[in-house]
Amino acid sequence: MKNVILRNIENPNSHRIEEYIKAGGYFAIEHAVNEMTPRDIIDDIKKSGLRGRGGAGFLTGTKWQFASLDPKFPKYIVCNADEGEPGTFKDRVILERNPHQLIEGMVIAAYALQSIRGYIYVRAEYPHVEKILNEAIKEAYDKGFLGNDIMSKHFRFNLSVHRGAGAYICGEETALINSLEGRRGEPRIKPPFPVNAGAWAKPTIVNNVETFANIPYIIETSPKAYSFLGTKDSPGTKLFCVSGAVNNPGVYELPLGTPLREIIYEHCGGIRGGRALKGVIPGGLSTSILTPDKIDCPMDFANLSKHGSMLGSGAIIVLDDTTCIVKIYERAMRFFEHESCGKCTPCREGTGWMRTILGRIEDGMADMEDLATLEDAALNVAGKTFCPLGEGAAHVLLSAMKHYRGEFEYHVKYKKCEVTDPSQRWGHLSMGELD
Amino acid sequence: MDTMRCAADTPAPLGAAKDGASESAMLKDKIKVLKKLYPHARSVLLPALYAAQQLYGWLSEDALEEVSRLTGVSPAEVKGVVTFYSLFKTRPLGRNVIYLCTNVACLIMGADTLEDFLHNTYSLSNGETTADGRFSLVIMECIGACDKAPAMLVNDDCHFNISMDNIREILDNYK
Amino acid sequence: MVKLTINEQEVEAGRDSTILEAAKSVGIIIPTLCHTKGLEAYGGCRMCLVQIERVPRLQTACTTKVNEGMVVFTETEEINKARRAVLEFLLINHPLDCPVCDKAGECLLQDHVARYGASEGRFAEGKRVHPENVNDPFIVRNMQRCILCARCTRMCGEAQGAYAISVTGRGAHSFVEPFSGDRYNCEYCGNCLTVCPVGAIMSRLHRHSYRPWYVEKEVETVCGFCGVGCTTFLQMRAATIIRTLPKLGTGVNKGLLCVRGRFGYDYVESEGRLKTPMIRVNGVLEPVSWEKALAYITTRLKDIAKRHSPKAIAAIASGMCSNEDNYMLQKLMRFVIGSNNIDSTARLSYAPAKTYIEKIFGTAATANNISDIEKSDGIFTAGGDPTAINPVLGIQIRSAWRRGAKVVVSGQPGGLGNFIDYDLNSVPLHEETVLNTIVIGLAEMKGYTGKNPYIEKKIKALRVPCEPELRATGVLLENMEEAIDDLSRLKNPVVVVGPALLQSGIPSKNLFLVAAIAYLIDARVYLLSKKPNYRGLIDMGCVPDSIPGGLPVRPGQIKLKKGVTLTVPSDKGMNLFEMIEGALDGSLKALYVMGENPVFNLPDREKTEKALKALELLVVQDIFMTETTRHAHVVIPASAWSEKDGTMTNLGGRIQFLRKGAAVSTGRSEWRVIADIAKALGMNETYSDSKEVWEEITQISVLHSASEYEEIKGVGLMWPYGSVQFQGGAEDFEVEGLEILPEVPGRKTSEGCVVPGNKLYLLPERSLFHSGSTTRKSKAILSVSPEPYLAINTVEAGRLGLCNDDTVWVKTARGAAVVTVKIVMDCPEGVVMLSNTFEKVNFNALVGYAVDPVLKCMVLTDNEAHIEKL
Repeated sequence: MKNVILRNIENPNSHRIEEYIKAGGYFAIEHAVNEMTPRDIIDDIKKSGLRGRGGAGFLTGTKWQFASLDPKFPKYIVCNADEGEPGTFKDRVILERNPHQLIEGMVIAAYALQSIRGYIYVRAEYPHVEKILNEAIKEAYDKGFLGNDIMSKHFRFNLSVHRGAGAYICGEETALINSLEGRRGEPRIKPPFPVNAGAWAKPTIVNNVETFANIPYIIETSPKAYSFLGTKDSPGTKLFCVSGAVNNPGVYELPLGTPLREIIYEHCGGIRGGRALKGVIPGGLSTSILTPDKIDCPMDFANLSKHGSMLGSGAIIVLDDTTCIVKIYERAMRFFEHESCGKCTPCREGTGWMRTILGRIEDGMADMEDLATLEDAALNVAGKTFCPLGEGAAHVLLSAMKHYRGEFEYHVKYKKCEVTDPSQRWGHLSMGELD
Repeated sequence: MDTMRCAADTPAPLGAAKDGASESAMLKDKIKVLKKLYPHARSVLLPALYAAQQLYGWLSEDALEEVSRLTGVSPAEVKGVVTFYSLFKTRPLGRNVIYLCTNVACLIMGADTLEDFLHNTYSLSNGETTADGRFSLVIMECIGACDKAPAMLVNDDCHFNISMDNIREILDNYK
Repeated sequence: MVKLTINEQEVEAGRDSTILEAAKSVGIIIPTLCHTKGLEAYGGCRMCLVQIERVPRLQTACTTKVNEGMVVFTETEEINKARRAVLEFLLINHPLDCPVCDKAGECLLQDHVARYGASEGRFAEGKRVHPENVNDPFIVRNMQRCILCARCTRMCGEAQGAYAISVTGRGAHSFVEPFSGDRYNCEYCGNCLTVCPVGAIMSRLHRHSYRPWYVEKEVETVCGFCGVGCTTFLQMRAATIIRTLPKLGTGVNKGLLCVRGRFGYDYVESEGRLKTPMIRVNGVLEPVSWEKALAYITTRLKDIAKRHSPKAIAAIASGMCSNEDNYMLQKLMRFVIGSNNIDSTARLSYAPAKTYIEKIFGTAATANNISDIEKSDGIFTAGGDPTAINPVLGIQIRSAWRRGAKVVVSGQPGGLGNFIDYDLNSVPLHEETVLNTIVIGLAEMKGYTGKNPYIEKKIKALRVPCEPELRATGVLLENMEEAIDDLSRLKNPVVVVGPALLQSGIPSKNLFLVAAIAYLIDARVYLLSKKPNYRGLIDMGCVPDSIPGGLPVRPGQIKLKKGVTLTVPSDKGMNLFEMIEGALDGSLKALYVMGENPVFNLPDREKTEKALKALELLVVQDIFMTETTRHAHVVIPASAWSEKDGTMTNLGGRIQFLRKGAAVSTGRSEWRVIADIAKALGMNETYSDSKEVWEEITQISVLHSASEYEEIKGVGLMWPYGSVQFQGGAEDFEVEGLEILPEVPGRKTSEGCVVPGNKLYLLPERSLFHSGSTTRKSKAILSVSPEPYLAINTVEAGRLGLCNDDTVWVKTARGAAVVTVKIVMDCPEGVVMLSNTFEKVNFNALVGYAVDPVLKCMVLTDNEAHIEKL
């Protein structure tokens, strides 16, 4: 299997610039600056079919083109390293082990957009990453890949790290921009989109770490070689970060379209303790849960949305049959409530309400009417919120309630959990009582 | 057990005798340098708050007012920003801060038993500090170490694959 | 324009408009909570969700722009379910305490729930608890009721520029708070009160004192506190003002008010209001009937005119009174008694500055729309903090800055502090050097256009300040140079001139330099005016040298309609300072003072008092007993701002209606009383209302000749009121004495260079909270600013070993006073400041004045101060 993003990963010093260069790094930027026009680069990225790796899967080349067509200057290049989606730790690997590939991707983007300033927005929960990045940036400055005269081509691009401060919502690009500007990280109205009026009201592209890390490969090989990987609709490789009840959790770089079964049973060595699979959250906590019958779903943008979920960040959380769905979603809702910025009514008030009902169901203090109220509240949040946070919160609950209805009802009827004896946390199964 | 130590940004110990005026001057200089990273002065707010937090250990109202003066952002807005983010310290915390992740991946792997352990052993609940000022507990949302769950940060050190067997041993290193 | 369909109705709307605006234009009202006029769209509350054909999800009408062919529905079952859901969510935490909530009856949430149906209240858990805070003198904060629409914080930041409150915390646990978490300690504009849709931010003054439906009458009028002329609405019940409210989007203020305008009106209901006329008998003022008082005045005036001459009689007009009041006083003096001796405290700075600027640039120069300031790309201000003197004008500067305009401030920045690119705050008496440097720099950058050779000649004659002089200003040269650079690039600049520019140094030179800046960058000029009608009284001829409409006094006849002929007297009238001198030297025997307090408001109080004591007749028409009524022979109760009809002219030249709410006192409109006196002295005309007075004004004033009374309605009538104005010629412009620089006290000249003295100067503080004798009677205003204080900067305080709240003696050559100290960061070095507001500490009793030979304005003297800790 070809490693595009995690190349050189076996090298313990892969984060050092010398090692990166030895492995062919910073060749793409040389090639770009010497032989390509900014427009060529944008065309190549468009041709490659690269889609954003942060969650929404927007076409990266199109985003860049929009920003480049806006006449306003300066333009800003922002890397979204606010990896906060629960279950996600893929960017962390790049940031820790391959920071120069990210930097190179950003410099190429800067050249393509004639941007002179970039920021890497790193989440505060990764304190060590900020240090690694700062060292890598310094190395890149020393070697002339960053600064006021990059590769002696009078091309100027300065880059620094901006540290977040603990707010999941800042992973949303407009909230991230507010946070970068020193404000409360509340999302902004779109349009205008960041490509036209982003940071400091100037054209701004915000791309995920993994997205930028794909850029050097596309430039140093060709868009065609890149689109050869993955599927037609979803070209390239993807970092899948697998956690939960598997034998070998971790980050795997695989072509998009790799079936879920292959990831779980081949790459991750199957379910822990040989237990049965109960469900898979395929793209981070904000994506809808897949039931075991969807195990053959190819992991790409189109197929997951066909199955009512999303590729999201590629964070696969595997649940085995010892897991209580109510408990999982009570915890999930607690997360959404905690992270709701409070700007819009349904998300601010709805997440807390749903969490309290879920808490009562979990504690065996709820009746069937509560279940109906919970569902109606979720429906009232879904589709009415300002940004995808509340939307996601409602959707994941609705899909869990749809697919695992029996488990919710069992909690209400018997005041205890179907899968675990309440007196024994994560104890043995007691399945089959309901049938 | 897996540990990743990080020396960056260790806060100055609380109560360390320092000359207030020189601290202010240090902060002023630091913010002046940081301002150059942004096209607009107010955007220095988050880094400025971190600088003040590093200098004073936590962000008191006085510290916020000082940051306000140095950045030109009004005090109320500074407070609005500080309270939006969950990782600014708006209260003095213990000498060591345990940031324990309890989100879904860690929960599946037993983070709630660790939370119970901290409660039973140190009487620590979320946001609280032990009477001796040794530990504070902050319950975290996902800290991006789901493959090595459960995970926690103690100050700036990452600890992975924590269990009831090794948590005591880890914490013993923090006095 | 684009065409779209809303609820099956064809609508045409501007390309940039939102669905909400398009719907409103055809009378379709979409419910909103977070949206409000004048603030940017927010999209938070989700009340305005609408359905758009071929769009899968409901969209917010307040943020979605219209498109050609768009098909929109605003009331469907799906939409109504969504709105009911939003209301249900809001009621999760909003208490159902409407019976004790002052907002009930005008609460948007209540209205929406009534319209879309109450939810079943399925929320079983407890509500958020957040105790009500009543510790602030003006604002009650009840955050349990807050629906987090952020209207208040956006108003405070986006519109007011105060950023005094912020949403604090995150998610459902967030709430709105000032920094302290308790009292606001802000500018107290109260604009957050205007926009709060629920009972979360309420007025403390009215707490539990009325219900919205108690309002019987609402009167649109113009605020009487400063020269901006904000539109405000008096809400009355019987004879009492329940509250004053602005309306968003209305008036020059577009719905903003300042602390004085919103909270300070209660002085009109103060117990100290004068109720009956009084005549001094054996040294004591005794109540008399109106007839007796007026008869006394006419007899005495007749007698003095006969025994001496009409020139022994003078009048002081009032910036607090209407155009009609001032016109009538002018008529009495000039056309009935036959004396040009009429002036006002506008003489101190506003009037001379206006005359001077208009001489250079023409009469149009100072007539400018206040709301245009925010569209400017650069603003130069000198002579005082606009956000304190004319707060709503100051807000326009902040707003311009936020839109990217460059703001350069010479002098104390005050409330502009965070909205400044170049802060050129010089030490006392050195502002001239800074201005001089800017003028020379701009002349070099911009060159000369030759438009006005007279001013260009004078600019060329300016001497380049030498280095020690520049150093002495306390302003960095590079700062000045960068400011010059930015100023020279402006395309639509504004120059704002405040009174402090003319109070120290050499006023005529300072003003010349600022005028030269305006000339070189081709700026519009705004003259700050603390009193609401200084401009109006000048237009009404309440100056010794011009008649109503601004034409210079030329002896002769003026013919009005109905065969009335008025005779313009030939004497060279006395200005305010000459009146004082005249009273002292015996050439002035009688003085009629309308709505003014010269003893308190003129520097050198001792001299003023001595002068007034020497008069044979002093008539004072006022709403309170003042320092001046103490010397009056006759005191006449006047009507307050809220008790009369008339017009006022704001500092930019806009005429607006002042409308009567209800009379609290038995005072009579000033013009009526004066008309009665004039009639007794031989005037034939009678007037049934203020409109008839206005009509006479239009006959005599060339400026107002084309103005129609009815046109003043609404946003008022903007200068030049339909008339064609004579443009003051450049050849009129001559500044005498500029080349010879007078010596200024406190400075020594050594080898041609000026060096600073190590001295403290006492200067007046122009407070945001107070405007002299009215606000000191306002209980509301006194609750936030109850005491005089001495403002001093950190360095000087350190040098003198002073801390906040220390009590000190301020001593000058003229007198001494005891005050508490307040350390103010932006107070310049070498300066201590004291506001002229409180009865117990009169700034003007501590200083003297001289008259500028060119401008004839006053310049402070004897204001070198010594501070001693008590």
